[in-house]
Amino acid sequence: MKGFARMLWVLGSLFGAGMASAAPITAELSTDRVEISTGFTGASVLVFGATQNPLGGDPPEDLIVVATGPTQGVVVRRKINVLGIWLNGPSTRFPEVPGFYALAGTRRVWEILPEEERRQYRLGFDNLRLRNEGNRNPAFRAALLELKQADGRWQEYASPVSRAGERLFSARIAFPDTVQTGDYQIEVLLVRENRVIARQELSLRVERVGTAADIASLARGQPLLYGVLCIVLAALAGWLGSVLFRRN
Amino acid sequence: MQVYLPIAEMSVDALLLLGIGFGVGWLSGLFGVGGGFLLTPLLMLIGIPSAVAVASGANQTLGASVSGLIAQWRRGNVDWRMGLTLFAGGLLGSALGVQTFALLKRWGQVDVAVSLFYVVILGIVGALMVRESITALLRRRRGSAPRRKLHEHTWLHGLPFKLRFRDSRLYISVIPPLVIGFGIGMLSAIMGVGGGFMLVPAMIYILGMPTAIVIGTSLFQVVFVSANVTLLQAWQVGSVDIVLTMLLLVGGVAGAQFGAAMGTKLRGEETRALLGLLVLSVAIGLAWNLLQTPSRAFTISPIS
Repeated sequence: MKGFARMLWVLGSLFGAGMASAAPITAELSTDRVEISTGFTGASVLVFGATQNPLGGDPPEDLIVVATGPTQGVVVRRKINVLGIWLNGPSTRFPEVPGFYALAGTRRVWEILPEEERRQYRLGFDNLRLRNEGNRNPAFRAALLELKQADGRWQEYASPVSRAGERLFSARIAFPDTVQTGDYQIEVLLVRENRVIARQELSLRVERVGTAADIASLARGQPLLYGVLCIVLAALAGWLGSVLFRRN
Repeated sequence: MQVYLPIAEMSVDALLLLGIGFGVGWLSGLFGVGGGFLLTPLLMLIGIPSAVAVASGANQTLGASVSGLIAQWRRGNVDWRMGLTLFAGGLLGSALGVQTFALLKRWGQVDVAVSLFYVVILGIVGALMVRESITALLRRRRGSAPRRKLHEHTWLHGLPFKLRFRDSRLYISVIPPLVIGFGIGMLSAIMGVGGGFMLVPAMIYILGMPTAIVIGTSLFQVVFVSANVTLLQAWQVGSVDIVLTMLLLVGGVAGAQFGAAMGTKLRGEETRALLGLLVLSVAIGLAWNLLQTPSRAFTISPIS
């Protein structure tokens, strides 16, 4: 409900500001916080807003929404067969890859932007800067792309940027349950005649809340205390359970 | 009903975890073993990272064994001196096991190593159990009572540092129980099991302890070694998921009571043959996974 009220307020102010506003795009997020609680199964965030000129006019304007998560280091390993058993063999490290990446657009980026622009704004998997150490075999990069897409953390055109009326637009960003905590950047780009003519940056925070947050921070901050607590809790639960069920 | 596991960093169906806990608890009540050797592979099968599966499996084993230990202790079936000797070895073994585990994790070989350990250990133990119970069954059919010497002397009795274990009616060197405790402790850390299914035969056949106090004393070792594994895994690897442990325990404790009630209706040899077959089938299932061509040729994992 909070998200909806906020959306109404933003849309209202968009219309209130009227067409006199100089900003070519105005965008907002349905929420600026994704909370991972004990019941978390993934989340969906709506990016919405309005453009000054009608979309698809002449010359046509297009919108691109790109979301990037905190960077992480990743090791990609290839399985090899040793004496009939499949082991993890040669590996390569990608010290800095986005933990999350989602691209959406009214059209495919390669249809509306030249390569330099796509590279500059890191649009599309081909234009992500994935520097790796160790084995240079391009198969590792391909595997990274495939596996990251398989678990939903990297998405390319998974959902469209949809239009409502002439000026309103919205796009949905789906975060899987394995999403990392941290700060996320969401960029909205307005494209006309092979150029990015306006951009707006929004930010979003993914954080753990409630019991899940307490457990994770205790386990990380005070692992020894957490270990003792796990022992005590398990022992108590086991003992209590057997007492309860014996009576029945 | 989905529940988010804060350490595994994924959400899993809570009912599935309760169900797995119940099923494993039922079997462990039926056969009188901890069931860790079934639990950890099942957790890995549903997609829990193997480091979390092993560590939380050890934590669950601790909870599941506590009530058994209390019950055995009340009946006076725990040889404390033997238990402490085994545990001294177990402490060292599990500490070394957790270090090995952390090293394997850094090399990215945890999954394979854990599976390999399971295949080898369960394969051997399962085969021995099946063979032993089949010979026992055949002997019973032939009607001849097994003849065994009351007290056998082997080279083990020539070892130094002898100690009197009054409750076990033994006067033996501390070296064999220390070594056995060490080995089980190490396996416990790497496989996330209590090790009761290996410890019990070792105590009967190698140490020559009387059957009556074997269960209680092995539970003593299992509880304290799995507590040590939990502590070290939480501290040095950071992979104990208490939410996962609790869900498994709730199902497990309930299941164990039903299993134990049914277990009293089965005969000793048949139970052991069934348990042996179960252990063997887990080993074969895991071996199949190791030998099969993987569906994906690559894996990714975060740099820690």
